[in-house]
Amino acid sequence: MRWLNTAAAIPRRDPFAFAGLLLYFVFVLIAIFADSLITHDPREILFDANYDLVRNLAPGGDHILGTTFSGRDIYSQLVMGTRGALIVGVTAAVCVVTIGTVLGLISGYFGGLTDTLLMRLADIALGVPFLPFVIVLAAFLNPSQWNVVIGIALLLWPQSARVIRAQVMSLRERAFIEAARVTGAGPWRILFVHIAPNVLSLSFLYASIAVGWAILTEASISFLGFGPSNSVTWGYMLQDAYASQALGRGQYYWFVPPGLCIIAVVVAGFLISRGYEEILFPKLKD
Amino acid sequence: MLLNSKGLLRATIAAVTTAAIVVGSLPAAAESGDPIRKLTLISRAQAANPQQFQAAELIAQAWQQLGLDVEVQGMPRPQQSDAVWYNRDTWDLTMWQMAGRPERSDPDELIYNLFHSTTVESGYNFVGYVNPNYDDIAEKQRVTANRADRKVLIDQLQDIINEDQVYAFLVHPLQTFAFDKTVWDAGTTIEQPGLGIKNFWTFSNIEPLGAQKDMILNSSDELNAINPFYISGATDSWITELIWDRMMRIGPSGLAEPWAAETVTWAEDAKSVTITLRDGMMWHDGTPVTAEDVVFSFTAPVKFAPMYKPFVDGIANIEVVDASTIRFDLTTPNAAFETSTLAKLNLVPKHIWEPLLAALREGESAESVLEQSRIGSGPFKFNRWATQQEVVLDANATHWAAPKMERWILRIVLNVEATLGMLRSGELNFLSDYTGDPVLLIEASEADGDLTVVESVDIGFQYLAFNLRRPPFDDAAFRRALSAAINRELIRKAAYNGFAVTSNSVVSPALSFWHKAGIEAELDTGMDLAKSILADAGYVVVDGKLHYPTGKTEPFAN
Amino acid sequence: MAYFLRRFAHMLFVLWAVATILFFMFRLMPGTPLAAFIDNTTTAEQQAALIAQFGLDKPLGEQYWLFLTNLMQGDLGQSFFFKKPVVEVVMEVFPNSVILTLASLIIAYAFGIVAGAYLAWRRGSWVEGLGIPLVLTTRAAPEFWLGMVLLAFFSFHLGWFPSGGANSSGSDWSSDWQRVTSLDYLSHLFLPAITLAIYLQGLPLLLMRSNMLNVLQEEFITMARMKGLSTWTIVMRHAARNALLPVATAFALGIGGAVGGNVVVETVFSWPGIGRLLVNAVSASDYPLAQGAFLMITAVLVVMNFIADVTYHLLDPRVRIATR
Repeated sequence: MRWLNTAAAIPRRDPFAFAGLLLYFVFVLIAIFADSLITHDPREILFDANYDLVRNLAPGGDHILGTTFSGRDIYSQLVMGTRGALIVGVTAAVCVVTIGTVLGLISGYFGGLTDTLLMRLADIALGVPFLPFVIVLAAFLNPSQWNVVIGIALLLWPQSARVIRAQVMSLRERAFIEAARVTGAGPWRILFVHIAPNVLSLSFLYASIAVGWAILTEASISFLGFGPSNSVTWGYMLQDAYASQALGRGQYYWFVPPGLCIIAVVVAGFLISRGYEEILFPKLKD
Repeated sequence: MLLNSKGLLRATIAAVTTAAIVVGSLPAAAESGDPIRKLTLISRAQAANPQQFQAAELIAQAWQQLGLDVEVQGMPRPQQSDAVWYNRDTWDLTMWQMAGRPERSDPDELIYNLFHSTTVESGYNFVGYVNPNYDDIAEKQRVTANRADRKVLIDQLQDIINEDQVYAFLVHPLQTFAFDKTVWDAGTTIEQPGLGIKNFWTFSNIEPLGAQKDMILNSSDELNAINPFYISGATDSWITELIWDRMMRIGPSGLAEPWAAETVTWAEDAKSVTITLRDGMMWHDGTPVTAEDVVFSFTAPVKFAPMYKPFVDGIANIEVVDASTIRFDLTTPNAAFETSTLAKLNLVPKHIWEPLLAALREGESAESVLEQSRIGSGPFKFNRWATQQEVVLDANATHWAAPKMERWILRIVLNVEATLGMLRSGELNFLSDYTGDPVLLIEASEADGDLTVVESVDIGFQYLAFNLRRPPFDDAAFRRALSAAINRELIRKAAYNGFAVTSNSVVSPALSFWHKAGIEAELDTGMDLAKSILADAGYVVVDGKLHYPTGKTEPFAN
Repeated sequence: MAYFLRRFAHMLFVLWAVATILFFMFRLMPGTPLAAFIDNTTTAEQQAALIAQFGLDKPLGEQYWLFLTNLMQGDLGQSFFFKKPVVEVVMEVFPNSVILTLASLIIAYAFGIVAGAYLAWRRGSWVEGLGIPLVLTTRAAPEFWLGMVLLAFFSFHLGWFPSGGANSSGSDWSSDWQRVTSLDYLSHLFLPAITLAIYLQGLPLLLMRSNMLNVLQEEFITMARMKGLSTWTIVMRHAARNALLPVATAFALGIGGAVGGNVVVETVFSWPGIGRLLVNAVSASDYPLAQGAFLMITAVLVVMNFIADVTYHLLDPRVRIATR
């Protein structure tokens, strides 16, 4: 359980990483308890007693952060957006980490033709421009949050895979692996029982970066108009504000909070990964 | 229980009474058909058309009160067109619009093409409305020369559509335009009913006040073509109107006026028209405009321009009487010929287009041709088109109606915030395409003091289309109920911010002669009314969900 | 030399693979390309003719072969909408993207290198404590969000910069070089370049700082023995050789990555670049153009990866020593 100890050691050593973990924790809580935290249905168009649309209200009274141009409560959208953000982020992170770790393990341990094939595959994935690819996916498939997840799962695993591969290659010659081999353990057992735990801390770090990347990409895709129109995410809120000329109307209470939330979640991921400074720059050859 | 006759009678009565009670207390489900499936309402994406999208959401929310499960799906224009136009059997509901164009100043184009049965398969009647009575009257109004008689027929057509609620009409938008009044003389703008100040006459007449003699206007859509045989969207038609001349043009009054034609004389039987060509017209490359060019312009579309073919099909023969006189013979009289054809077809130089069209391969049309020089005879000459950036036209000083400005420059600005910003900073001096909040525009003009904002009712209209091929939309009562549930006033205020007038006809109030006065009031709306129409037609709400009348099944259950 | 050839062949392989993936992606996606011609009253025969005209009725294998052979001759097909060769349309806007990318990267790296060195120098101080989270924030903010705020403030509010486009309306220039070096162009370039630069500077900054820290640790002990000599000069001279190498590599990689990622900034500032062209082509189902734009972006990415690899290989002192 060494990786657990290492993972737990980060907060004690680095106050920034601790702050990151705390932020994540807060957002997860908000996402879980979103239903009790919201004041209105985030998708409901609201009317007042005179059947007039309750639009463009400044913060105050019933609406903590005011209302949008279509008459929806901003605060409730912001809170519910946490859920959307974390679902996309965590799913993408899990995909990337799983694929990257497994492929890195296999590639690093078995070497040879498998390694060459997988590394060529990684080169192709690295050769596809990321945002254009997700745009094409989103334009041709139905608009959905899963386009972002698919894009990330297909294109962002090489970075973690390469680093993990390098780590595995150095581990595989170590004494304790030799000992396991001698006692008759099969290659898969060695790989997943003995080696994998030692690289999981690396996986965890790439996961935290991938969460942020997924949320930023979802926001960009929504902004370009390729996002789903029926779910409330922070990217959707920004797109809505942009299309409704929120800035021209001076509605900073609408345009700024979702941006700040995105920044908060993404920075939290970076801070956690900074517990290991030397692994922050995956594009470098090592 | 005695098995004698009295006992039997008592037993029978008891049995029947019990049966009646049991049957009477059975859940209503036994009295209704299948539940109505989840419906999808297609709309333009929110960023592209926020008003349409908002209206769709309001409508969906209203229909949920009737027990329907409605989802709004926003998508880009080509995808929406693909679904609605090319896959006519697959969609249920869509938001749509008819744009306001000068040719549509005569109601014929819309009132015929939208609802006539010949355009059901692949034309404008994509909702699938087939009504022989409507067809008859629509054809009749085409050949009725007397305007008053024709108006009676057009009123009848509007009534039929209202009765059948083929479309749920929503609004005629109020178009807002603006310009910098320190650059342009406000007195020289020309307002055309249904088109506002953004029209050919303004561009032709407007006078600069000071040093700035270039008009810089905007488009919020990317531009894809400048081709006299092709209209890909609204924006390119502004440009083709300026570069190429036409025989006639729709004047500020909304009626066709001679333009390239000196005189237009109709024969007694209304089946042929003689036109004398204006003297001294020149193409932009210096060669003169001839009668042969005219003949070519009206015959080439038959084979090479699918967009314009319908408008020249009715021409049986074109005769060149002499160098400046041409006679058109029609197959049948057509009251709308001046508007639909003479004011629509662009006059193109035969010496340039004939070789280009001859070089086309099988299956290609004039739309595939890229004529780089874009030679026309109009009041503006083509200068350049920087992709995704701007189109620059130079004033043609030798034209008989030469413009007073020096250049007409169209900038493509995708960001509506930036558009307003550019108008205020002076980077634009004529706001020709504003898809944003009119309130902000008015506030800006009040704050800056140098802008004039002009609003006018559009000839075009926004509506919701039912697909009459798919139940339950084949039931007129169902359509009437759904239409009644839509609060037009709410949509006008909420989705269009008050910048619209409610609509109940393809003929806009901007066309004051043809519009049937009071037709908006002839449509009764209200949620209670909607529910009662549904109930009367046999639709039942079970557990909050709306069901078909008894015996009807849901053919598209999902 | 062998290494160079190997890497070059590898680059061609990746280009081929991505082009193939792209080809099949565009052919097998749902949606009729003809939806673009919707305002037509086209009949079924005309639709069939259009399909034949664009070669969409041939078997997939034949289309693929045509695609590859055309690609090698530099022919990317014809745009449905513009009726011009895709290469022409793409090359009209491609230089604008390149200029935007280079400008923002140069600003970002110039700032990042200096600031990164400075932060390393001030290790442990409050400057670092404040600086690091600030840098991470710039890397976490959505680019379009930042762009809209900058546009609203510096353009709408203060009026210092134009609101969009690459040149003023109707401006005439004697040559392209004149146009892109003019003050007009530069004032249009400023806001989008700064927006991108704010996002991009995080990487060189942190990289530089990290390398500088390594260098400082090594040198610090030796420094302690040298009295009277400026530590700054010696450290800088040493750092210039080692710390900048990864940064230079990152710069090359940055060009490759940024060209494709500029699309949101190009939309906010109406900058006529290739990202915007891709979005427009995709929205309009103009798939020859979408394909061409995508391929162009990919080509830049892959070529820059190659250049980065080769440069690193040539300049890495460890490698150079080993091959001596």
